[in-house]
Amino acid sequence: EDLAEESQASKELIAQRIRLLEEWRAWRKAVVAELEAERGGVVPLAQRGSEKEDEVIE
Amino acid sequence: MRPILLKGHERPLTKLKYNREGDLLFTTARDKIVNVYYSHNGERLGTYMGHQGALWDVDVDPTSTLLVTGAADNTVKLWEVSTGRCLQTWEFNTAVKVSTFNEDADRLLVVTEARMGFQGTIHVYPFVIDLEAKQATEPILTITSPENKFTKAGFSYLSKYIIAGHADGSVSQYDGKTGELLKNVPVHDKEITDLQFAPDMTYFITTSKDKTARILDTKNLKIMKTYTADAPLNTGAITPKKDFIILGGGQDAKDVTTTTSRQGKFEARFYHKIFEDEIGRLKGHFGPLNHIVVHPAGTGFASGGEDGYVRVHHFDKSYYDFLYDVERMRPEN
Repeated sequence: EDLAEESQASKELIAQRIRLLEEWRAWRKAVVAELEAERGGVVPLAQRGSEKEDEVIE
Repeated sequence: MRPILLKGHERPLTKLKYNREGDLLFTTARDKIVNVYYSHNGERLGTYMGHQGALWDVDVDPTSTLLVTGAADNTVKLWEVSTGRCLQTWEFNTAVKVSTFNEDADRLLVVTEARMGFQGTIHVYPFVIDLEAKQATEPILTITSPENKFTKAGFSYLSKYIIAGHADGSVSQYDGKTGELLKNVPVHDKEITDLQFAPDMTYFITTSKDKTARILDTKNLKIMKTYTADAPLNTGAITPKKDFIILGGGQDAKDVTTTTSRQGKFEARFYHKIFEDEIGRLKGHFGPLNHIVVHPAGTGFASGGEDGYVRVHHFDKSYYDFLYDVERMRPEN
């Protein structure tokens, strides 16, 4: 019975995390698209020249 | 990997700042000096001397040419990064709590404290990244908040808004051009101690003495996330690359005599940004953590403590590998 309860709780937790993940990603997608449109292709000085970021990490 | 310990200050740290590339780390403290280090090995490059009071803020322009600092001596100073030469001083009636650039460094924002009959004020100056230029001494915009003093402030993306944190725990959004108050929302129960933007500035994190941190949407000040800690918080940073936040704080200095360092909770705490759970802690400081900054490429972070030390951490493989099962199951496309 304990095991059944535990597995039910863990299912609920997983479902909640999936929901949180999807909500966050949907919000980010909308915000990023809107900001891109507002910026009109102009990259601010603070974000220029940092394109070498994908170095291999040991 | 073991952190690098920087011992260049004799008083509590107040602020840390990486330059855009992240190769330099600027540090300020109550000892009236600013230090700059190579972030990868902790070697000190230089010290900026001239302030007569505790330093409260430091910022560097995106080209790493000019540095601005704000201090309790009621001044903001402008420095040449490479030589340590002081180029200009702005004088105010009260202590300077914030001195920061917008994303293009064509605006300088200064927050002065409410004291001795003077109102807490946000001052905005035009700015040019030019060593030879005489910078404007008259603000193009001032914002006061007579009822509710400012603790932190900064420009949003496109300098569209000025976002300010207050002593009563609320956050205000002002029009970045006119200074008109657009919105004020209650966010925390106590003073806001830090306000740091995400890399694209569309959201930001606030921390408070009320032991919580929150993420807010810059555009509408909607509270997106809440993180609960077991100690008053002084600082919070958002990590690029991984969906984490790092919080720092600890018992106030006045209460520390009655607690051991273990009870003082002087750890950097990692939380999952989306799920709001605490996922880890890093010990090291033996006083409250006053400020945390993350390397702009997301490869490490630095913390400055009430103990007078700066600790520079480089993330290892386990940090990058850490994922919740649901993140592994549903990778971002």
